[in-house]
Amino acid sequence: MLKAIKNFFTSIKVAIVLLIILIAASILGTLIPQGRTGQEYLVRYGQLGGLFQKLQFTRLYQSFWYTAILALFSLNIIICTLVRLSPKLRRALRPKCDLDPKNVLVLKIRDKIKMSLAPAAAVQAVQAELGRRHYRVREQGAEKKHCLLARKRILGIFGSDVVHVGLLIILAGGIISGLAGVRGSLTLSENQTLPVPQAGFSVRLDKFITEFYPDGNVKDWKSELTIIDGDKPVLQKSVEVNHPLSYKGFVFYQSGYGSNWENPELEVRLKKKSDPGYLKNIRLRVGQPAAVEGEDLTLTATRFLPDFVLDEKNQPSTRSLEPNNPAVLIRGERAGAEVFSGWIFAKFPDFAQMHQAKETEFKPELKDVAAPQYSVLQTAKDPGVSLIWVGCAVLMLGLSIAFYWPTREIRLVLEESQGKTELAAGGITAKSREAFQAEFESIMSALRKTK
Amino acid sequence: MSESTIFTMAFVLYVGSALFYLAFLYSKKETLAKTGSIIALFGLLLHTLALILRTIQSGHAPFTNMYESLSFLAWATILAYLIIEWKYKVWKPGAYLLLVVIGLMALASSPLMPKDATPLVPALQSYWLWLHVSVTLLGEAFFAVAFITSIMYLRAESREKKGQAPKSGLTAERLDSISYRAISVGFPLFTLGGLVFGMVWAYKAWGTYWSWDPKEVWSLITWFVFALYLHTRIVMGWKGRRSAAIAIFGFLAALFTYFGVNYLLAGLHSYA
Repeated sequence: MLKAIKNFFTSIKVAIVLLIILIAASILGTLIPQGRTGQEYLVRYGQLGGLFQKLQFTRLYQSFWYTAILALFSLNIIICTLVRLSPKLRRALRPKCDLDPKNVLVLKIRDKIKMSLAPAAAVQAVQAELGRRHYRVREQGAEKKHCLLARKRILGIFGSDVVHVGLLIILAGGIISGLAGVRGSLTLSENQTLPVPQAGFSVRLDKFITEFYPDGNVKDWKSELTIIDGDKPVLQKSVEVNHPLSYKGFVFYQSGYGSNWENPELEVRLKKKSDPGYLKNIRLRVGQPAAVEGEDLTLTATRFLPDFVLDEKNQPSTRSLEPNNPAVLIRGERAGAEVFSGWIFAKFPDFAQMHQAKETEFKPELKDVAAPQYSVLQTAKDPGVSLIWVGCAVLMLGLSIAFYWPTREIRLVLEESQGKTELAAGGITAKSREAFQAEFESIMSALRKTK
Repeated sequence: MSESTIFTMAFVLYVGSALFYLAFLYSKKETLAKTGSIIALFGLLLHTLALILRTIQSGHAPFTNMYESLSFLAWATILAYLIIEWKYKVWKPGAYLLLVVIGLMALASSPLMPKDATPLVPALQSYWLWLHVSVTLLGEAFFAVAFITSIMYLRAESREKKGQAPKSGLTAERLDSISYRAISVGFPLFTLGGLVFGMVWAYKAWGTYWSWDPKEVWSLITWFVFALYLHTRIVMGWKGRRSAAIAIFGFLAALFTYFGVNYLLAGLHSYA
């Protein structure tokens, strides 16, 4: 039973089947939109929608079965790598020399030559020639028979193991991110301070800037942030898209923006019917009375609606939070008594209908509304991320070793024959056979000429 | 001269180069192929100049919309092919490869692709744009070379099976080995550019290195397919037809990642 399990996990065939299943499942997940509502799936797929949800096709990459395949795959990588590691280590550290020339001459790259030197001198010549080409040579043997093992770039045989270790580190990082990562979102208006969830410190938005290109497209969004830790400002930085701020493991990203129409800045223009030259601009906020200069008059905006409409009961209401039809309920008072009050509209300056306590000559108009912009910041604490970068570095290191640091091995057996030496040589390489063959042939022709 | 004139001149040179390579397929005179190769090299130089001019004029990397990235992919494919050709002294894939490049260039010049250099949206303003896109597309260019040599392998292999001698000395076995070489360059590049640099940039811009966005998933699928190619080949000793089929499927997956995802699936990578 244990053996069957071991066979299952050490089998490369299982790895390949798992890889194919992963490919198929991943494709499926891109064909079905992920993470929508049950209603949307019913509309899109009818009866199948329910089935897809039951099979977790709608949250496929987070599903139990996809995770399970990934886990099996990781286990397969771990076990395959371990099982293959010990013979590789033995090959690297305690290589065996073969004294039988037949075993050398079965290799694909091979040659057999005669050298006009005595074996001892021939061994020296071979060692010198191989040493010149950066091979490390081990020698074994007696007087008449010598065995040489020449190798270079032995690290190359571990390339695939390094790749697998890199992948496992990335997967471990992913697990940590999934389990211990914290994500959140902060919506901040200028000068607003909010505590960062689960962080123990706060962040204040000092300024929010939108930059434009000359053609009117947005160039950048910038939030000037101050981190407040223990009631003291400790860090100030401007955060923009692609340039996050990080503090104590938390990273802040510029992710969105918007306008807060609940309490905009209002600009009211006051005219007099009798005096066409009379014009006063007054800045207002809802609920904050403002005195009109030179007049014994106070203006108060009592209500603001960004998208004014009369509802079924004929009451003022707003259709949306967009400034499609901004309107302000304005009230003028003199010594506590109402002089006028009524709705004024930014888009329809002549539409004002004023209730008037007395006949008044004032005519208020809503000149401008400007909503303060707010900035949406993504906050994230991801303790897995450093492992991800380590894993990526190891992965790339492994790939470069595996592809560009190929181990080359030449096995040579030298035998005495009538005072001269017969040499059988065979070469092994996993990669770039042609280049190796060329090197092998050039070594052999050099040895042939050695006298 | 403007960037678009130079682009057109490069295009014309590629067409000329393809004609020479095609003539070589019929006449078997190596000088024809070598001439084709030199013309392609001049085309590549002009194309490089066009890309540099584009960068200077727009002030950003020359692959931020479909026109630019198609042009860059065509450039990278020629570069990858000329490297392989120079290294392995094979001329036959030239004709087919140039046809692929001409297809990419034609698509880039078609009126469907807006050519105006637009200012960069905030999300693309990063030096990772250079690293992520250029390295990924270069990797995909090597996959394109492997795609062509794998298709040629399938033809050569069936011909050799029928007992016909390989023409012009390019055996099926050699084609198989060239496909493998191209993939062994493309795979590390694609891993570095597509996955590693992609994750780093995603982390910097979106705050998460992986979000299972369709383009991310498809690049992972592409990576899995080439991992399958390498494992079946190195560990299980698969070669020939099955290897070629996986390499072909791998390039199609890469192509879908690059092209199809944008038009058929919605996601975060909506710029290009």
